Amino acid sequence: MREMNRTEAEERLYCAMTIGEELLVSGAEVNRVEDTIRRICLAAGVERVDVFTITSSIVTTIYGADFGACTQTRRVSGMAYDLNRLDALNQLSRRICAESLSPEAVRTELKRIDAGPRYSFGMQLFIYALISGSFSIFFGGSWDDMVASALIGILLKLFESALRRKAHNALVTGLLCSSVGGLLAQLSVRLGLGMHADLIGIGNIMLLIPGIAFTNSLRDLFSGDTITGLIRFLESMLLAIVIALGFTLAGFLF
Amino acid sequence: MNPIVQLIAAWAGSLGFAMLFNVRGRKLAYASLGGLLAWAVYLLVARFTLNDYLCGFCATVALTLYAEVMAIYQKSPVTVFLVSAAIPLIPGAALYRAMDCVMHGDWPGLWQRGSYALLFAASMSAGITVTTILFQLIRGGLHAHVHPRS
Repeated sequence: MREMNRTEAEERLYCAMTIGEELLVSGAEVNRVEDTIRRICLAAGVERVDVFTITSSIVTTIYGADFGACTQTRRVSGMAYDLNRLDALNQLSRRICAESLSPEAVRTELKRIDAGPRYSFGMQLFIYALISGSFSIFFGGSWDDMVASALIGILLKLFESALRRKAHNALVTGLLCSSVGGLLAQLSVRLGLGMHADLIGIGNIMLLIPGIAFTNSLRDLFSGDTITGLIRFLESMLLAIVIALGFTLAGFLF
Repeated sequence: MNPIVQLIAAWAGSLGFAMLFNVRGRKLAYASLGGLLAWAVYLLVARFTLNDYLCGFCATVALTLYAEVMAIYQKSPVTVFLVSAAIPLIPGAALYRAMDCVMHGDWPGLWQRGSYALLFAASMSAGITVTTILFQLIRGGLHAHVHPRS
């Protein structure tokens, strides 16, 4: 086996941790994060790897005869779901294991992934309209309701991006967005734009509901990562309830 | 409700969510098709039974199988094909109606709709879990968490 000094071990572990952190932020399950870090470190030639990950923290210790034990931790704050990035990071980690890329090469690749394509703001307005409109129809709304829901979806996106600069608490953002959504739904019925305030609102609720967190929490929970699964399940349930509450709150005011 | 319209709506909704999560290119097409498939299975099973939970379970099983196969075929994480396609199944409407009951003090209604939302979520999780575990068993390995002893 190749000699590895302390500095090199630290550098390689740092790279692996960065990939793990970005995977977690992009929406990967804990199992994948731990497995990726473990595989990258083992491919680099260390003897033993211990990884522990929960929603907001990653701890890894690697052991080797040449450098002893080396531990690093990351505090992971916030989520930014991006499945394209998740996919790219996954492919990068496969390449690292297969070709043993140098840390410099990994850093260049990470920069490239970070600058990867995203849908433009105009496109995101369209996405919000598409989601709201289709779920309004899906749950039994009329065509008028669909149009109203799509328009409110666009307004919600504008409101949310204005809000994002001020508020960082997901629950507060969710409550504010859903209250505004509920008010707009009631208003659109008053103005004669739609017919059923509840069916318009449901389209917008689906927009805000943490679907990815919910699905992932179930997968974490049953794959053995009970702590993370429970935390994420509670988080997504709490957020869903707050959002539904915000919408009905507005209906109560009218 | 016309099932064709519903299927198109489920597809469009999944497409929207896949785009929201920045899925691109061919994978976008596969991810949104999953939503259509899930709802088609739901409607199909609903022809034979009145049990909504059973429909939800079967739809999730079909969807998870699809996502696992797609993940191998496209060499991508399962998440990419699973999460956006699962969204039409999420009981958002029931949850909303349950909260509506809270605001109006309709406690029997809250019990009825709230338990529906929770049980439906439970049947979805059962579908995802059963399929994932079976798939892992077939592919030969439930040892991801076991540390190699040195």
